[in-house]
Amino acid sequence: MDLGVGALPALNSVGHVAHCRRCLDGLPASLVEMDASRMAIAFYCLGTLDLTGSAERKISTTDRENWTEWIWAQYVGKPLRSRQRFIRLTPRLRRRLSLGSVRGPSTDGPHLIMTYCALLALAVLRDDYAALDRPALARMVGACQDADGGFATTPGAGDADLRMTYCAFVVCALLDDWSCIDLARALSYIHRCRSYEGGYGQTPRGESLGGPTYCALAALHLVPAEHARTPRARLQPVEWRATVRWLLQTQSGGGFAGRTNKVPDACYGFWCGAALSILGAGDLLDAHALGAFLARCQYKFGGISKAPGEHPDPYHTYLSIAAAAIVSPDPKWELQPLDPLINATLDTARWAKTHVRVTAPES
Amino acid sequence: MSAPTADDTTEHVFYAERPEWADVVPVVQYENIQPLAPIFYSPEYKDATDYFRGVVKIGEKSLRVLQLTETIIRLNPAHYSAWQYRYETLIAISAPLQPELVLSNTLTKASPKTYQVWHHRRLLLTALGDPAPELAFNEEVLKADAKNYHTWSHRQWLLAHFDQENLWADELPFIDGLLEDDVRNNSAWHHRFFVSFERGSNDDKDEAEAIVKRELAFAKEKIALAPNNSSAWNYLRGILDHSRVPYSTQAIFARQYIVDTVEPRGNDILDLENPPPSEGAELPCAAAIEFMADVHEASGNEGISEAVELWRSLADTHDTIRKRYWEYRIRNAVATTGKA
Ligand SMILES: [Zn+2]
Repeated sequence: MDLGVGALPALNSVGHVAHCRRCLDGLPASLVEMDASRMAIAFYCLGTLDLTGSAERKISTTDRENWTEWIWAQYVGKPLRSRQRFIRLTPRLRRRLSLGSVRGPSTDGPHLIMTYCALLALAVLRDDYAALDRPALARMVGACQDADGGFATTPGAGDADLRMTYCAFVVCALLDDWSCIDLARALSYIHRCRSYEGGYGQTPRGESLGGPTYCALAALHLVPAEHARTPRARLQPVEWRATVRWLLQTQSGGGFAGRTNKVPDACYGFWCGAALSILGAGDLLDAHALGAFLARCQYKFGGISKAPGEHPDPYHTYLSIAAAAIVSPDPKWELQPLDPLINATLDTARWAKTHVRVTAPES
Repeated sequence: MSAPTADDTTEHVFYAERPEWADVVPVVQYENIQPLAPIFYSPEYKDATDYFRGVVKIGEKSLRVLQLTETIIRLNPAHYSAWQYRYETLIAISAPLQPELVLSNTLTKASPKTYQVWHHRRLLLTALGDPAPELAFNEEVLKADAKNYHTWSHRQWLLAHFDQENLWADELPFIDGLLEDDVRNNSAWHHRFFVSFERGSNDDKDEAEAIVKRELAFAKEKIALAPNNSSAWNYLRGILDHSRVPYSTQAIFARQYIVDTVEPRGNDILDLENPPPSEGAELPCAAAIEFMADVHEASGNEGISEAVELWRSLADTHDTIRKRYWEYRIRNAVATTGKA
């Protein structure tokens, strides 16, 4: 392997921003499977603009107003099901939640992942969350938690995995309110996802995988110090060693593979790189080799793909740039510093923390 | 791919043109708002989802809703609201679930990487309570992609959820077959760990010990065939960690893999507990060097210098991409013993 420490190719930030702008303006019919996760695409595209320092310059006042309005339209919504729902609580669901129980798959349930994406997209747009009903948001997160400690996408859906645990923990951290969830059970769920390889599976007893490993570690480290005394809110030394070892082992051919014996994929540069950074071991990976791999995944007309020679998409574009923001493979790749726990630039994460937080106690 | 319809053999008719749907008022997605990342929907998708919103608005749960949601799901298998509403409708009208499972077979094979497809299947199997045929179906899906994460998760859920003796019975031979096809299939190795060690609490100490012995032998046999295989080494380590057996118990085995070339076997009796590398194996094996370094480190002060030497060889020659990590291991070990 070429371990030359020469300069890396340039990061085509202008092209990547243009790719994300195009996606924000519209996606072809062939991407219809993205329909239910367009809030996530919005988050990745706006996040790319933010990381490259283009959010101020590339978003006009009109766009900012229109986009903010669209995101909030998914919140208040109309009295019918739109697929982009996030924290929308209809009066009926609100009554059911205040009763404290939600039975069976709900038809009006909010979606935890889209809620996370919407809150962060709004932070990039520097929205003030004036329309946010914080107690209702906290109740919604609580309602998504299952008896075994995991979190479902919507209350009662029964489809829990670590992605939603992570999103729930971010919302708790932003609200600065951990009373809405059963933290001990949530931590126990996370630990049941740990596998013998040292990583975490998507669900309990699953194979070690980069994405859920990031979700587990970020979630554990989001728990504030006063709750960290809760048994097992951090890794034991023996667990730390095994996890760092496994994460580093998946670096192969420059990029990270995400699973043992798989081929590298650009997105795992973030999932594994950010996980290492959270564990305080970010300096142990080969940043130059990762940067070289990510550079090769750049598409000539802008955007970044999962592997060299493939077509780009907002998900791999954002996560590759976020990975680069964490490991800084080349000083010429000028990027905004990233908060690896919230997965947003430091400024945006700070904005979200100060503006989502419940300021006055509920009367 | 052309837009498939609920019935592939007939021409697609828009819901707006079907007389039997004339009583439903379609609801369009946007009014006077500029959406983020809008999708330029196909006319079929737009038509069907407009009617879906119309149906949900009036809360209708009927046979024709099954037809409508099937149209949407075939166009977009990740449409979780359509899946959710479909399942609620199936239950509300007491529709037979067996035909739904048959339909799910087709949809699962068509979109094996979509979360919702598998979740729906899980709901159906839970309601039907007959898991036995599912293993064969799962195997069929794995044939197309032996490392599909969803397929494996589903299999593990099935085994753990129903926890029936007949379900577990043939898992090991099944995994043997997959590892014979591809000894580096980490999903199969993971499944083997799940089946051997995570099936539930094992109170029988003798049986637990026998399983550890059997699995150690299995891992070592596979390492002998192809030494540079992280999956097999991780499995070996996993067994030792899980059963709290020191790595040093495997030193005789691992040491054979840190040399530069396969040693000529001569007329020695083959040590079955410590199979040597197969002829032509690429040596030295980085995973074995790492393993031996761990053995030396655990042995305390006098072992550290040997461990350091092995880590050095990884950092400089055999595993240079992890150079910083191996140097960290050296610093860490030296600092720890310095304190001791
Ligand atoms: Zn990827």
